[in-house]
Amino acid sequence: MNATEPMKAIKGGEFLIRETSADSIFIPEEWNEEQLMIAETCTNFLAQQVTPNLQRIDEQEEGLMRHLMDEAGALGLLGISVPEEYGGFGKDFKTAMLVTEKLGAGHSFSVAFSAHTGIGTMPILYYGNDAQKQKYIPKLASGEWKGAYCLTEPAAGSDANSGKTRAKLSADGKHYLITGQKMWITNAGFADVFTVFAKIDDDENLSAFIVEKDFEGLSLNTEEHKMGIKGSSTRQVFFNDCKVPVENLLSERQNGFKIAVNILNLGRIKLGGGTVGASKDVITSSVRYANEREQFGRAISKYGAIKYKLAEQAIRTYAAESAVYRASQNMEEATEMLIASGLDENKAKLKGTEQFAIEAAILKVHASEVLDYVTDEGVQIYGGMGYSAEAPMDRSYRDSRINRIFEGTNEINRLLTVDMMLKRAMKGELDLMGPAQKVAGELVSIPDFGAAEEDGLFTKEKKYIANFKKAILLVAGAAVQKLMTQLGKEQEVLMNLADMLIELYVSESLQLRVEKLVGLRGEDACKEQLDMMHVYINDAAERIAKMGREALNSFAEGDERRMMLMGLKRFTKTEDINTTQARRNIAAKLIAENKYCF
Amino acid sequence: MSVIVLIEHTGGIIKKQSFEAVQYAAQIARKIGTTATALALGSVATTEMEGLGQYGAQKVLHVADGRLNELHSSAYAGALIAAAQKEDSKVIVTLHDIKGRAVAPRVAVKLKAGLVAGALSYPDTEKGFVIKKAVFSGKAFAYVNILSEVKIIMLMPNTFPVKKLEGKAVVEQLDVSFSDKDFGVKVKSVNKVTGEVPLADAELVVSGGRGLKGPENWGILEDLAKELGAATACSRPVADLHWRPHHEHVGQTGGTIRPNLYIAVGISGAIQHLAGVNGSKTIIVINKDPEAPFFKAANYGVVGDALEILPRLTAAVKKFKEHHQ
Amino acid sequence: MRILVCISQVPDTSTKIVLKNNNTSVSSDGVTWVINPYDEWYALIGAIELKESGIATDVHLVTVGKADVEPVIRKALALGGDEAIRIDADSNDPYEIAHYVAEYAAGAGYDLVLCGKESIDYNNGTTGAMLAELLDIDYIGFASGIQVEAGTALVTREIEGGEETDACNLPLVISCQKGVAEARIPNMRGIMAARTRPLKVITPSKITAVTEILSYELPPAKTGIKLVSPDNLDELVELLHTEAKVI
Repeated sequence: MNATEPMKAIKGGEFLIRETSADSIFIPEEWNEEQLMIAETCTNFLAQQVTPNLQRIDEQEEGLMRHLMDEAGALGLLGISVPEEYGGFGKDFKTAMLVTEKLGAGHSFSVAFSAHTGIGTMPILYYGNDAQKQKYIPKLASGEWKGAYCLTEPAAGSDANSGKTRAKLSADGKHYLITGQKMWITNAGFADVFTVFAKIDDDENLSAFIVEKDFEGLSLNTEEHKMGIKGSSTRQVFFNDCKVPVENLLSERQNGFKIAVNILNLGRIKLGGGTVGASKDVITSSVRYANEREQFGRAISKYGAIKYKLAEQAIRTYAAESAVYRASQNMEEATEMLIASGLDENKAKLKGTEQFAIEAAILKVHASEVLDYVTDEGVQIYGGMGYSAEAPMDRSYRDSRINRIFEGTNEINRLLTVDMMLKRAMKGELDLMGPAQKVAGELVSIPDFGAAEEDGLFTKEKKYIANFKKAILLVAGAAVQKLMTQLGKEQEVLMNLADMLIELYVSESLQLRVEKLVGLRGEDACKEQLDMMHVYINDAAERIAKMGREALNSFAEGDERRMMLMGLKRFTKTEDINTTQARRNIAAKLIAENKYCF
Repeated sequence: MSVIVLIEHTGGIIKKQSFEAVQYAAQIARKIGTTATALALGSVATTEMEGLGQYGAQKVLHVADGRLNELHSSAYAGALIAAAQKEDSKVIVTLHDIKGRAVAPRVAVKLKAGLVAGALSYPDTEKGFVIKKAVFSGKAFAYVNILSEVKIIMLMPNTFPVKKLEGKAVVEQLDVSFSDKDFGVKVKSVNKVTGEVPLADAELVVSGGRGLKGPENWGILEDLAKELGAATACSRPVADLHWRPHHEHVGQTGGTIRPNLYIAVGISGAIQHLAGVNGSKTIIVINKDPEAPFFKAANYGVVGDALEILPRLTAAVKKFKEHHQ
Repeated sequence: MRILVCISQVPDTSTKIVLKNNNTSVSSDGVTWVINPYDEWYALIGAIELKESGIATDVHLVTVGKADVEPVIRKALALGGDEAIRIDADSNDPYEIAHYVAEYAAGAGYDLVLCGKESIDYNNGTTGAMLAELLDIDYIGFASGIQVEAGTALVTREIEGGEETDACNLPLVISCQKGVAEARIPNMRGIMAARTRPLKVITPSKITAVTEILSYELPPAKTGIKLVSPDNLDELVELLHTEAKVI
């Protein structure tokens, strides 16, 4: 992109008040040949090394996961986004996301991979000094060493800064002595290097340290018994006056919480990509089974009830994918602009990601819930076999569930979505007040039925989406005005607002993707994608209306409430369409292709 | 003008599929109003060659050069061309097998002749010279028209049932001069699998997959094979796990077989496996999973545990054989 | 030693074959294209292994196809080919294809020409022997192992009911199958290097095909399986005798 066009720089959260043009977003149909080849390498790696061994992986066969990580390292998959000077391949964020997506179908392996390349490597890469990076990054990028990340404690989960782990300087001033207990540490069983968060002395904020497995005073508990991702090593890590050389303090003292938050931003959007990959895989299994399984003399894919499920699985996945790559592109562009403005590359990456922290939280929540939906319906399509541990749905169902919990629970992420939006408005970074007042004004004026606009392929959807924005501004504006400082305590209202924002962002991303795709391939080649857009936006309107009503009804009263409910109704109104036929069309394509094919 | 057909033999014994090739060539010859001439290379007894008359060959050309007991594609091609020229043949038939595939393409190039590899039908001369063959590993058939004057057909073995009739072919020696260059390939060592029915030629095949649970259970599969006189085969995972030797692996990346009967035991029927066996005339699938995709490609199916069914099936075959002796 | 590997683009094994134009052609809609597995897993990787062990100096790839085969060629380059040649033509006549490849290879000084034992689209398995004839060199088919020492190739190949090991002086054409090498996945280094490796396009001199495919046909669907109870295997044996007539 051209950095001399500042107008193109979209700010995080701005989607609520700004119109985005379709040609400014990236869509997955635009992957280049090299990216597709990388994707194929990931798919083949899973097919050859991971999928046939899922049972052994889940049994935590000694050395197997380490071996698979070695193999992924040999293919270069652990160093995709690591700069070439540190032994990586310096690929852009979208390519790294593509790898995460493709490997997302690898169950416990995906978790080990994501933890290693994300929270295991990124803190050192982004915050390490050159000596630290030279020492650790090439080994992590090649997979010679495996990485892990120790933040969570038994009593400090979502409230990470409240951890009890402490560090103090040794008498000779050469070491920090870390004491404490960390919990739910992914890859702990085989990691060589841990990024550990602890407070130095009585600091208010956390600091971060690079701790090697063999440092004196580090020990591991036994493996946790989990509902799913059973092959992922998850242990408690104990630090008992663990001796960490002073030069292994990462970044500055008390900078740990910032590191943790920024690394989580990255992790969240990556989780969005990984769960999209897992969803596609489950859809493919579902379609194949539905085509194979016969009841009453016909393949069950011929029945409408099953077609509905297959179509809905695909619609939601395609929508989530649209949002993931739209945001990835935005982050990448923001980073490039920051670099162009003179910022150091790593700082630019962090800042670029941070700018889109709202979108990252939205993607984390949405894509993980899509995967849960997709696997749940996958089990249902498999019927009795769905409940059998011999069919793949059992594992998919159990493994999916953790995604709504780690990288910040979906509740925390929903709260953050609204919180960040409002904070940016307060700071004047995001002008929500103006548009909100305009919407409030619209309520008391005569409804604008709109001059007869040219009836393009996307005219209606664009109108709906513009209205969704008004609906959110209406409810959010009223909530801020009515509840004022109490809003933070009305978590139900915050959840409603978050859900509305999620539906808006995903609907708009989907609409823009399909619009761009039609531009590239022509309308005839995009029939199913258009159907997906119509169905998703139709349903999103109803979900937004419901959430909005719930919120308004909780704090508004009387005429004011009636007026706002009327406005909400107007802003979430869509023309009736035949969603049944649209879903049948989508299902027909999936059934004919016998796989997820969008 | 006669139709020339290349004969294969092992140690002087003519290969059974060559009878089928002779019968095929004779049938074409009748159709185009000529006779079939067989070409035998290396050391073969006269009576063996005369016996080809029972399958429709009028004449056998014999190139007795002992060096031809081993496959030398260039020399074989030279002999086949010499025979074709002698007989002024416009149609040349070989088998679509290891030797045929080494020789026929060379002849095709030399004679600028169109070739159909893996023919499954007699040529249809109504629309030209059109022959059916399998493409996309058995997922479709193509009708190929040969446009050149000379036509080469590589017959897929085990396509037509062979009928033995009366007859005796005339054997005629054919002198062909070769150069040293024709024998550039030197055989250093031969390792034949002995005591078993060779898989590629087998009419009956019993094949095992992961459903047999371990190499220790192969005894009961071999019992059935022995009772039937069948060869044994296996799926790719089984070969990859080293439960069975690699030469038994049939499927996309292993061998392709077309027996009259293929019994798949504990094999789910992945598309890659089907690609190697879907030319089998009759398929029996034994699998405990009623949803196994292989059942869709099978003629007969038994749903149940392979380890229980195999001994029972062996007993049933034994009983049948006793009654039909 | 210089090796030429012949590769062709084929539909992925799991592709469902759909016919079009009144059954005269195969639809390419939604087809995933791959390198023919025998060409990739055995011929190409076999050649790369010979290069890695210091025996071969150059591994070149050749394919006959239009521009749409280039993604597949670059994948072959990503696996380790040094240079690729695309002969700009489209044909399914084995004779025509072999001619184009031979025309290129004739003066190019290759010591070894490797191809897969057959392609999984037209299942001919004739290219190798045709090339040998056109180049007037030796040919060994169905190889499962290749070693090269001092200008001589030692090739293990399938024979009926076993295998044999042949020695042959170079140059030589070998068609490869399982055993020659193990399948690999292109790694990041290879993928990134593939972009920088030359892909030459040459226009062949025209030759007339000697075969044409008039039409295609899909196999008839199996007409319902007969399920036999595990408790009544005598019935199965009886069916094999009276109905299937195989015993």
